[in-house]
Amino acid sequence: MIWAKEETLPRREMEELQLQRLQETVVRVYEKVPAYRAKMDEAGIAPEDIKSLEDLKKLPFTNKKDLRDNYPFGLFTVPKKDLVRIHASSGTTGKPTVVGYTKKDMKTWTECVSRIAAMGGATEEDVAQICFGYGMFTGALGLHYGLENMGATVCPTSSGNTQKQIMYMQDFETTILVATPSYGLHIGEVAHQMGLKPSEDLKVKIGLFGGEGMTEPMREEMYKLWGHDMMVTQNYGMSELIGPGVSGECLELCGMHINEDHFIPEIIDPDTGEVLPPGSKGELVISCVTKEALPLIRYRTRDISRLMYETCKCGRTTVRMENLSGRSDDMLIIRGVNVFPTQIEEVLLKVPEIGAHYEIVVDRKNFLDYMEIKVELADEALLDSYSKLGELEQRIKSNLRVVLGLDATIKLVAPRSLQRFEGKAKRVTDLRKDL
Amino acid sequence: MIKQLSVFVQNEIGSLANVTSVLKDNMINLRAIASFDTPEFAILRIVVDQPEKAKEVLNAGGFAVKVTEAVAVELEDKPGELDGMFRVIADAKLGVNYIYSIVLRNGKVPLMIVNTEDLTKTASVLKEHGYIVAEQEDVNA
Repeated sequence: MIWAKEETLPRREMEELQLQRLQETVVRVYEKVPAYRAKMDEAGIAPEDIKSLEDLKKLPFTNKKDLRDNYPFGLFTVPKKDLVRIHASSGTTGKPTVVGYTKKDMKTWTECVSRIAAMGGATEEDVAQICFGYGMFTGALGLHYGLENMGATVCPTSSGNTQKQIMYMQDFETTILVATPSYGLHIGEVAHQMGLKPSEDLKVKIGLFGGEGMTEPMREEMYKLWGHDMMVTQNYGMSELIGPGVSGECLELCGMHINEDHFIPEIIDPDTGEVLPPGSKGELVISCVTKEALPLIRYRTRDISRLMYETCKCGRTTVRMENLSGRSDDMLIIRGVNVFPTQIEEVLLKVPEIGAHYEIVVDRKNFLDYMEIKVELADEALLDSYSKLGELEQRIKSNLRVVLGLDATIKLVAPRSLQRFEGKAKRVTDLRKDL
Repeated sequence: MIKQLSVFVQNEIGSLANVTSVLKDNMINLRAIASFDTPEFAILRIVVDQPEKAKEVLNAGGFAVKVTEAVAVELEDKPGELDGMFRVIADAKLGVNYIYSIVLRNGKVPLMIVNTEDLTKTASVLKEHGYIVAEQEDVNA
């Protein structure tokens, strides 16, 4: 089912709508956000210079750093009293990235999520179990509102307690699973361990996966665990833009349709900032053209993708973005949580008992991400007892938990045993690859 | 009291040999060694004839090393000796953290190296009860 008529607009009409909305948004941020006005003045561009969609590339980029520099509400175009919701995601230097929604934004968000849910095959008949962690992250509540808006029955089970999740799945006859792909795989595996055959014993027929990228091998594994009749789809979004609802896969599974009437995509060369011709692979840049509270212009997502403008067999005319193929920065997504190695470094460098060198290894065990951090023991005084060394490991672990919201395994190693680098250090090894 | 070295070793094949190679290359003689099965890393305790030099060469070889005092008690090789020593330590309300021994000493009695939370007090209560607490010179030869 196609949820909104905007999803099938002829290209010319879509572009007219985009231009009109872009112009309104640029005026809005120029008038209401000093930081945007300063950037545009510096670039020598005024709102009236945006005469066509081609002119979009004249506007300055917005980076995650801009959100941090203007923490918490500096880039908002409305006073705080107009916000009806605030969300946040982890940031690189302790302060999170804060996003806000007006009443209208909530409506936009909800509609965008209803669209991607419909793309994945959801209808009002469905029972959707939301296994994203509820809280300041946008994933859970985004899908929650979008599915509820559609008339589906929403079960906000949140993440964790997997056996109970499966019990609810059986008892409520859940038909839609909402989770990160890695948690989706984990639930499937636990179901098998409990002696269940998901394709026969459970009613789940649609997976709406998001919060992290799903590679094709992961999708294959999902079919193996959940049965080949399951519709395994993924969707894309980020809190800075709106949360989930930016784009999603339709039943054709040939890329994620971008809700283009709300989000204008571009592909740029991450090094030069140059806009690349249609069909090129590069960094995805998104401009929000209908948001009220926080309409980011040319936001650099750091995600690498490609845009496909050919009309899809599903009938939607909206552009599709290819499965993400990496990032242009070093951000890691671990159990759906954004982690920058610099965050880890800051924590480690404040611990005097260990050296300045470290190694981060990210891997997947039983379909769940885990992170191991190797650090060199520097303080020989701790060699008195195992308990002193154990306390050190625990202290590092809890300091990291405060900053990242994640548990890492700390491994103490001998001094000078970690690799030294002459050029750019490669301290992160991501062994997750395809699975 | 004698000197003991605590060396950080990773749980990897060859890690103990890496320590002993450094000692061998520097003509340092091991008197006692203790290490137990641990999952990730171990603190290797050793007694050597030249503790300061051993620390220096091990540090140079990339090892984290701490030199500490250790109580080494002379014990006769007969039943009940160890029991008597433990009784003295327990009566002084001291807890034992770990213990290992030097058995072969060219005809001399074995030494039992014992670590507690209070080494000075341990040495003095043992001396009060007639035990002989060895000094570093006793293990150098």
